Amino acid sequence: MSDMKPSEVTAEVEEEKEWEAAKAFFDNLKTKKPRPPKPRNAVTIAVSSRVLFNLVEERKIFKHQGVEQYVAHQVEHENEPLQPGPAFPFVKALMTVNDRLRALYPNEEDLFDIVLMTNNHAQVGVRLINSINHYDLTIERFCMTGGTSPIGYLKAYMTNLYLSKDARKVTEAIGEGIAAATMFMPGEMQNQLCDTQLRVAFDGDAVLFSDESEIIVKQKGLDEFFAHELAYENLPLAQGPLKCFLEALGKLQRKFYAKNERLECPIRTFLVTARSAASSGARVLKTLRSWGWR
Amino acid sequence: MGDTVVNTDVKQVGSENALVIAVSHGAVFGAEDEDVHGVAFPLLQAVQKVNERLQQLKSSDSEPVQLEVVLICTNRAQQQQRDQVQTRTRAQGLQIHKFSFSCEDDFTDSLLENKVHLFLTTNSDEATQAANKGVLSAVLDPESACGPSEKLRIMFCGDAISDPGAESMSGSRQAKQVFWSHLGKIRQKFGVEDSPLTLVLLSSHGGIDGCCSALRSLRTAGLNVDEAYCLGGSPRKLIMSVLRPHFLLGAPEE
Repeated sequence: MSDMKPSEVTAEVEEEKEWEAAKAFFDNLKTKKPRPPKPRNAVTIAVSSRVLFNLVEERKIFKHQGVEQYVAHQVEHENEPLQPGPAFPFVKALMTVNDRLRALYPNEEDLFDIVLMTNNHAQVGVRLINSINHYDLTIERFCMTGGTSPIGYLKAYMTNLYLSKDARKVTEAIGEGIAAATMFMPGEMQNQLCDTQLRVAFDGDAVLFSDESEIIVKQKGLDEFFAHELAYENLPLAQGPLKCFLEALGKLQRKFYAKNERLECPIRTFLVTARSAASSGARVLKTLRSWGWR
Repeated sequence: MGDTVVNTDVKQVGSENALVIAVSHGAVFGAEDEDVHGVAFPLLQAVQKVNERLQQLKSSDSEPVQLEVVLICTNRAQQQQRDQVQTRTRAQGLQIHKFSFSCEDDFTDSLLENKVHLFLTTNSDEATQAANKGVLSAVLDPESACGPSEKLRIMFCGDAISDPGAESMSGSRQAKQVFWSHLGKIRQKFGVEDSPLTLVLLSSHGGIDGCCSALRSLRTAGLNVDEAYCLGGSPRKLIMSVLRPHFLLGAPEE
């Protein structure tokens, strides 16, 4: 603390004041809504409007009739809740994990927090907020940029993971060093997605780890790759953009294990890799262990 | 006693067609007159852009309107060197419709005489004085200088805890309503995209329902905000550097 510059101390004090004000606001609410976690401590998941809700029909209006008609349409229908989108079960699962954590640790601050992150116009936002309330989703922060790409705003909301339908935005977010993923809805799967367990699978080959290994395979072939992996077995793989999110998940999992809830833990993680387990798996597993992940 | 000088270089706006914004000399050129570009500089440039676009609409517009800018000079030196003030603003390419020269004590009379809808200053005492006379006022801080010069960005913020006195500086309820109504009409002249004027709503620590309420209240007052941010306690500083508003006004209570 004594090494901090005066400006840093002031910023921290201000941040604390702002959080206290928010806490006071929520504690004074008459509803039974659980108080959201402090943004700095939370695992913040930013979801776009099109993955939270089904905006397929509205999107058509936007594409064929233009933005003015699209906004007018949304305003006209703002009291009609939207249908759930691809991220809906995910959001419900996050809420379940939070409820379970709070039950075990009543004053828990390391929780998931969801932000609605959209480049929609604020007037469209009314329908989005009405829909959030209709489904009783625990979302207490939003960012409606009115047209600008929301990528520049992710860090301001302390985002740990960004979910969008738009692959370009996802690529942009990863380029900014923020974990991100595209979500889309394969029709049949939607009804099968669990909302009482958070089930996350990581593609160990490309997504988790840096491109270093991938490049070796492409340039020098698989044999060279295996030799490389063997030689560097004890050197952790360089971090990919999703490492931080993985670490956060691991931290929350351990909270359940600490209370002997390993079997009942609502967070389930799966590592998927196309590489042969014996040869390259060792380096992968050792890396994960070094990141505190089981 | 002060007086107001009309700037003959700039085409005047009829009072029924004007949204009058007064800016203090200190905000434009610095408190000690040391700045070439004070914190209000980008703001005035952005106001000019809005006016240019409004001009373009004139032929098809049944209710033409312009933003009228009045420069408030309360310093004796400025009074004695009026020509210099005018020359300086011209040299900087600023479109000032009127210059008001008065003392610190009676500049508020000038605000009333010139039917000012909004007074902007870097001096919080001046803002309080104006607000006490019922004129809607806002204090500009150094961040205002970070605003863009091609678009005017006005932020409504209902719950800024860093300005506990902000509410008292703002002016009468009626003054607010009149300003919101005029501003809303100007915003509506432009489409959803490509507007030279952007209205932003920020809620620091209330929930999404409170922010949604403020959004609706502004709509009722004639203002359709373009962007809305509900921070839920996340630090304001981070988002403000991205949002870059020229100035902040209070949002309506629920």
